[in-house]
Formats: sequence, C-alpha cells, structure tokens
Amino acid sequence: MKEKSISLLELRQRNTRKVAALFLAPITILMVVYIFYPIVDTFITSGYQWNGISAAKKFIGLGNWTKLLKDMNFWIAFKNNVVIMILSICIQIPIGLALATFLDFGGKKLTIFKVIWFIPLLMSSVAIGFLFTYALATNGGLVSTISGWFGGGNIDLLGNPKTALLTVILVICWQFTPFYMVYFMAAFTNIPYDVFEAARIDGATRGQYFWKIALPLLVPSMKSAAILSMVGSLKYFDLIYVMTGGGPGTSTELMATYMYKQSFKTFNMGYGSTVAGGMFLLISMVSLITMKLLNGKKED
Amino acid sequence: MKKRMKKLAALSMAVLMAASLAACGSSGGDSSTGETAEGAATENAGGGSGDESKEIVYWNIATESPDKDIVQAAVDKFNAETESGYTVTSIPTQNDTYKEKLVVAMSSGECPDMYSSWSGGPMFEYIDSGFAQPVDDLFNASEIKDKLMEAAIAQGTYNDHIYGIPYLNVSLAGIFYNKEMFDQYGLTEPETLADLENICATLKENGITPFALANGSKWTGSMYFMSLAARYGGLEPFQNAVAGEGKFTDECFIQAGEKIQEWVNAGYFPEGVNSLSEDDGQAKQLMYQETAGMLLCGSWYTGTFASDSEEFYQKIGWFPFPAIEGSDADPLIQIGTVGDQFISFNCTGDKLAAAFECAEDHLSDDVMKVTIEKGKIPPVNGVDAQLTDPITKEIIEAANNAPEIQLWYDQYLPPAVATAHLDGLQEVFGLTKTPQEAQESMQAAMDEYLSTKAE
Amino acid sequence: MDSYKKNKRKSIIAWVIAFALAIFWLVVSFMPFVFMVLNSFKEKFEMLTKGVFQLPDKLQWSNYIEVLTGGFGNYFKNSVIVLAISLILLLFIAACASYPLARFKFKLADPIYALIVACMSIPVHITLIPVFKMSKATGLYDSIWALIGPYIAFAVPISVFILTSFMKEIPREIEESAEIDGCGKIQMFFSMILPLAKPGLATLAIYNGVNMWNEFSFAYTLTQSAQNRTLPLAIWEFQGQYSMNTPMIMAVLTLTLLPMIIMFIIFQDKLVKGMTAGAVKG
Repeated sequence: MKEKSISLLELRQRNTRKVAALFLAPITILMVVYIFYPIVDTFITSGYQWNGISAAKKFIGLGNWTKLLKDMNFWIAFKNNVVIMILSICIQIPIGLALATFLDFGGKKLTIFKVIWFIPLLMSSVAIGFLFTYALATNGGLVSTISGWFGGGNIDLLGNPKTALLTVILVICWQFTPFYMVYFMAAFTNIPYDVFEAARIDGATRGQYFWKIALPLLVPSMKSAAILSMVGSLKYFDLIYVMTGGGPGTSTELMATYMYKQSFKTFNMGYGSTVAGGMFLLISMVSLITMKLLNGKKED
Repeated sequence: MKKRMKKLAALSMAVLMAASLAACGSSGGDSSTGETAEGAATENAGGGSGDESKEIVYWNIATESPDKDIVQAAVDKFNAETESGYTVTSIPTQNDTYKEKLVVAMSSGECPDMYSSWSGGPMFEYIDSGFAQPVDDLFNASEIKDKLMEAAIAQGTYNDHIYGIPYLNVSLAGIFYNKEMFDQYGLTEPETLADLENICATLKENGITPFALANGSKWTGSMYFMSLAARYGGLEPFQNAVAGEGKFTDECFIQAGEKIQEWVNAGYFPEGVNSLSEDDGQAKQLMYQETAGMLLCGSWYTGTFASDSEEFYQKIGWFPFPAIEGSDADPLIQIGTVGDQFISFNCTGDKLAAAFECAEDHLSDDVMKVTIEKGKIPPVNGVDAQLTDPITKEIIEAANNAPEIQLWYDQYLPPAVATAHLDGLQEVFGLTKTPQEAQESMQAAMDEYLSTKAE
Repeated sequence: MDSYKKNKRKSIIAWVIAFALAIFWLVVSFMPFVFMVLNSFKEKFEMLTKGVFQLPDKLQWSNYIEVLTGGFGNYFKNSVIVLAISLILLLFIAACASYPLARFKFKLADPIYALIVACMSIPVHITLIPVFKMSKATGLYDSIWALIGPYIAFAVPISVFILTSFMKEIPREIEESAEIDGCGKIQMFFSMILPLAKPGLATLAIYNGVNMWNEFSFAYTLTQSAQNRTLPLAIWEFQGQYSMNTPMIMAVLTLTLLPMIIMFIIFQDKLVKGMTAGAVKG
C-alpha cells in the first residue's frame, strides 16, 4: 500500500515539474535574451575603464567598484531613493486604498470618479513636468499664489535644495497613486461577495466590514503593493530627470539619473555600468529581504 | 464554451511554441552576430567602415524648422546634383536624446557615416575613439577653405586637424534688452560693468527684475559666469586650466562667482531662479510679460524671439557683455559658438569625399540663403553684407572684431568636468556653495579627467 | 432601533466626509489634465505672455489640425500595433509563468520567483546597448517589431509578481474539486485559473498598456526613420534645439492620452466583473 502511494506521489511530482517547465519556458527564453544577457554585459563592463564608444577598453578589475563604495554622490543618490521609497509607500498606498474602498462601496455610480482619478497615471511625464514647473514657479505659480491669499510670501519649492526632493516626491505620488487604486480595486473583487453578504446579515456596518473583514483580507495585496512601490521608487527616473535634472546641485540626484549621466553624458560607461550593477544588487537585496520579512510574519 | 476554450488554448500554445522557437533561433544567432558587430567596431576604429553601400547615413538634430529646412535643403541639393553616385539619407533626432543615441550606436560599431555635433568635449571624445576622420586634404582643396571664418575652423579643429565642418549659426553670449523699458527709465547700453550694475539698480528700484534667467537648466547660469570670467581674466586662465597648467580656482573664476552671488543678493535675478526651466520657456516668459528687462544668453535667441512674436522682437536690442574697469582682459573677446553644428565624418575614400561634398552643400549659396532667411548667421566671411536684421548685424560685427571666441564651457570641457561646473555653479546661484567650493569641485573633476587621460 | 438610527446618522456623516475628500482628490487629479488641454488650444506667444493658467483667448483648433495632418496617424497606427501585440503576448506569458509559481509545489519555485522579482530592479537604460546590438544583429532595427521583445521582457517581471500574488489568493478548494473531476493541470489553467485571474490581468493590462503607450527610451533607440516611430516620439517635430512649441506639444499629448482614457473606461469594467464572471459559484 505504502509503496504504491509513494510512487504515485513521485509520479505526480514528476508530472508537476514537467508542466511547470512547460509553463515557464516562454518567460525563460525572454528573460535570458533581454534581461540576463544585459545584466551579464553590465557586470562585465563594470570591470573596465571605458568611455562607452571607443574600441579600446582598459580592464581595471574591481577599480570601479571600490570607487563606487567611496563615491559620496552615489550614496547621496541612494539616500534620496530611500527617502522616495519611504514616502511613496506611506503616501501612495493609503491614499490608493482609500480611493479603492470608496469606489468599492459606492459601486457603479462612481465610475466618473474612477476615470478621472485614473488620469494622472495616463499623462506623459513631459506634460506633467511642464505643468508642474509652472504650477510650482516661485513667482506667479499656483502654490505661491495660494500662499499669497493667506498672507504668506512666495515659496521656492523646486529651487531650494531642502524642499526640492520633497516636492518632486509629491508629484510622483500624485502620478502613481491611481495605480495602487486600480490594484486595490482588483484586490477587492477577489473577496467573494458572500463574505460581504454574510457580514451584512450579521449586522456589521460598512465601517466594521472594512476594518474587521476586508482589510485583513487585503493584507497580502498590501504587501505586494509595498514591494512594487519600493522597487519602483528605487529605480525611479522619468519625472525627476524632466523636472530637476537632479538639481539644484545634487539634491534630487537618484541612482538612475546618476547612472544615466555617467553612462551617456560624461562618457564613463564603465563606471555607469558599475552604478547600474550596484543599483541592481541594492534593490534586489532590499526587496528580497523585505519579502522574506513580510512573508515570515505571515507564517507565524 | 469549454470546447472553444480548449481550442483557443491549443491554438495559442502552438503560436507560443512557434514564437519561442523563433526566439531561440534568433537568440542563437545573436551571440555570433554580436561578436561580428564588435569586430566591426574595431575595424571602424581603425578607419572607416568597410561598408560598400552607396547610401550615406547622416544623423543630425534638425527635427524642427528652421533647422529642418536648412539641412533638408542641403541634403536635397546634394542628392540632386552630385556626380559621386552616393545618396545621403538624413536622420533627424531630437536634441535631448541625440547624444545618447550616438553613444549607443557608436558603442555597437554602428556609427553613422556623417553626423553633426556641437564640437568641443563630446566631439573630441568621438575623435579619440576613432569615429571621425580628419578632412584636412579635402578641406584644403575645397572652396570652403576661404569661405569659412577662421574662428569657425578653429572650433572644428582638434590636435591640429580639421574634424568638424560648421554650417549653422554664429551665436555669442550677449545681453538682450527691452528697448522701450530702457527709454522709459532713461537708460543706455552700458560700456562697463559699473554701467550695467547701475542699469540693474534702476530696474530693480522700479520693480523690474534686471535679468531673466531660468537656471533650473543649469547651463543658462553658466552664460553669466563665462562672460564675467572672460572679462575679469581673459581666456588664458581657462585655457591653462584645461591644459592642466593652471587651475579653475584662478582669481578670475572666483571673482565671477562672487559677482554672481552679489547680484543674487541684490535681487537682480528672478525669485527661485534655480527652479525656473529654460526648456519650458520660463526665462523668455519674463521678457514677454515685461517683468524682466534683460536676458543674457546665446544669440540664437534672436530666432526664438522673432518666431514667438515678430512684434515683440521689434522692442529688443542687443549688446555684448561690457568691459570691467581696471581689468587687463581684452573686452572684445567673446564667448560663443561659431557654427553651432559641426559635421563630422566616419567613412573613408570615395564615400568620405561624397559626404564632404554634402557638407560643402550646407555652405553653398543656395542653402545659405535659406539659413539667412531663417534668421541664422552661417559662419562664413562677408556674411554681414547679406544680413539685414540690425541685431544679427551687431552680433556678426562683434564676432568679426573678436580676437578669440571661446566655445561654451559646458560644450568645450570634457563632459564630466562640464557637469561638475554646472552643478557647482547652480549651487553658487542658490547660495548653498561658495565660489571657492564650486571651483574646487570643478578642478577636482578636471584633475580626475587628466589623470585618466594620462594613463 | 435607536442604535440603528445612530448608525445611520454616523454613516451619513462618514459619507459626507468621504465625498468631500473624494471631490478634493478629483480636483487635484483633474486640474493638470484640464490645463494640458487648455494650453493645447493656445497660441505660442499667448501662452507665454498670459501665463499657463489663464483661459485661452479663443480655441485654436489649428494646433490640432496641424498635428493631425502631420505624421500623427502613422505614429498612432504604429503605437496601436506594438501595444496590441506586446500586451497580448505579455499577458499570456505572464499568466503561464505565474500559474506554476503560485499553485504548484516544486523545489525551484521559490528561487525562480526570487530571480524574477530581482529582475524588476533592472534600470532600463543599461540594457539599451545590448538590446540595440541584438536588434541590429537580427535585422529588426528600425522597425516597430524591434520594440515588442523589450517591451514584453521589461514588463514581465512586475507582471509575474502581481499575477502570482493574485493567483495565490484563489481558494485551493476550487482546484481540488476540479482535480477530483479528473481535470489536468493544463486544462485547469485555461478553464479555471485564467478566468479567475481576470481582475489581476485587467490591472496588468491597464498598467502595462499605459507604460508601453508612453514608452520612450527603446522607441528612440531602436527606430530611426519617421515612418517607424511611435507616438511618444511625435513631439520631436515641435521641439527644436533651443525652443519648443509647447501648445503644439500639449495638443500631441492630449491626442495621445485620449485613446488611453477610452481604453480605461472599457477595461475598468473588467476589474469589477472579475470574480462573478468565472466558474466560481459552481
């Protein structure tokens, strides 16, 4: 009896592996060609002193890597990324969740809200950058005008190294919150309707339903959302590059903008690749550790 | 329903298999062809592509008119008239992404046969990496030798060889001002820096921002710095520092930085100057709204003003940066580009000759007529006679009188040094760095560059 | 009964506050869009003198006419083709990969998942040169087909990450009961898991669709001739070396945005239907 069941189990496992391999084949091919090969290429390039275009590359071993460890600009950029990461998670996810909850409770009547709330994610960074540089202009911008109504003076947000990063983060949050809204909306639909019905029959108010039943069910989605937001903010590039170019000085420099400038603007492809490699290692480490921590808690 | 699902599934699986097989095949092919591409890169570096095709690929940044019209006119002329048997295909790419696209192409050994650049640091890098051919022989045999301004040829020259043929525009750093505003407050064009500062003070008293500057873009503030440094100390300190014989901490640079901070403190620049964006037009906006009186920038601004509003352009006057009392520096020295766009060549033999012919066409009388019509000043001798616009005339006069014209720092310097210069200077404008600190970080970048070059 | 009334009043207050906040956020979300559209109707000089936040003097339809009579139609067509093919392949490949990672128990599942998640952190720019070399080598360079591969590849890690977490939430019982009915794993994927993952797929379609539609870096690196460009490159024609025609650019961007809004209106319905549409109830 026992023998037979083992072989059956084995058979099933073998079958599982086969099917898994089949399902994973396309992604493997794709990733090897477009992602693994470039990663390997990046790490190889990081061993050279190379301007990016010349046929003559000079191998310098770990020279670029030791430079990276001592490069204050890179670590400032990393710090800026971490600030973006923390604030993004703290701002985007709660607002996204609140919007999704509102829409979930309101039902179909609120479609217009949903569509309009979604628009920021659809707008191109060029348009956002342009409109916000005018809206945030120190003299005559919207923020300064509003401050004027309340008797305040003009406010220089983007030109001041102390506030520039924070300001850009708010714009980024404005842009990406709709994504988390949609994400949580989808998560809400994954809660079977019976659960809601049952709660109502038991006399739970909507508030109670949300806090006691829906929220705990949404925790896994929130964890994934946090990781998405984390990875996204650690490799963020677009809007910062359009709006501040990393300035004033280096106050809004990010790892990605730094990497881009090194690789393509200042003819330091070797070092730029090192920055990219460092980015890859740092982000992977941070996200995998976070995932381990989040999932570890779940098992307890 | 279920059956249809199954069929669909089978079908999509089949498609997927085919796709993945194809991907396999191509990825297998990649690795080998990738190597040949690298091989080609080495060959390229050795001198010209071995490509036998009769098509000359020409990359440029002329995506919008007027540039587009000018380049198109030249290319059309070449394709219609040439007897070389070659045809030129123009590939315009937008300015912001152009340098990156060139780097990507060059690094893969796919450099275009001819391409335009701004000369200076990046062009030197292309040359050092073997992506540009010297054209001295062709140049000496051609009629553009006598046609082009000396300063223009100088800016296309590297290590005593000619690598870049300039064609587009002569642009100097100078001050545009609102004539009506000057009349209203009884102001005249300044002779000295003290005069200029008096103008600033008068405008400021009347609630007008003296200088329209959008320094979020960083290079715009450099215009002030370059002009001041050239008037304080001439060009020698700069040239010495670039050659490694002097330092960017020379007195004239520090004085320039200090003067800028003095002006910032006096409120001569717009509020939040480091947050304003040149790309989004926030400097010219201040001029148009007549809340600012002057604007120091490259003289391509004539074209910008004229195309934005012909009416407003009538109000505009121009003068070169004034002399500084008590300085020995020659006040006729100018900062600017004599050509703007320089064509470089990455081909050899007949192809190079044909490509050079196309570059010559950019300076032919027909095409230059278009260039001038569009408000640009082609960098050729005697162009003044053809100009009618009073401001462009003044500009070309200043260029002709200049003993030397220094290319923009951020264009001329090795890009890493230029970045250090722009980042540091922006903080000087923001009063978060002293001029000394900014110049030291610029020098540090220069030292690092020189040390890697020396190896 | 009293407590019911109290609850009722409380809930009304809660709704009022919620509505106030919702409308505030509505304004915040909508304003930039409104100004983008308004500025697209202005004349260049007018925009600069009167400021960006003034109403236009009159609606300048000429901006739109000029954009539409230019290469816009062609760019639009290219963008649609690239988007449609990339998105369909992406969703299929991502769903295929997520299924075993979420539902199977095998040793390599965790390492593979971790590897894919790590790939989310790749900065796009660093892959430009290798991808450029590949497209040159395969002869795909300067065609819209060159874009599809990288578009899918860079969307795949995040898609697998999202879909896997969605598929994990599907109750195990559904699968078990199907297995007892003798349903194979492949059949199960198409008849059960795929329909149940619809909300997740819709989220991905929306998110990746937006990204691909606005994608810029690969588009300009891998294409060169005007007939092969996609929409995000259309603004080039209005952006010169030293100046840009902002109202025209805003017109291009508005026209680029509209199809996406329409797509969203269609797709967001799928988000709601998700669970009920599937064979769950049975």
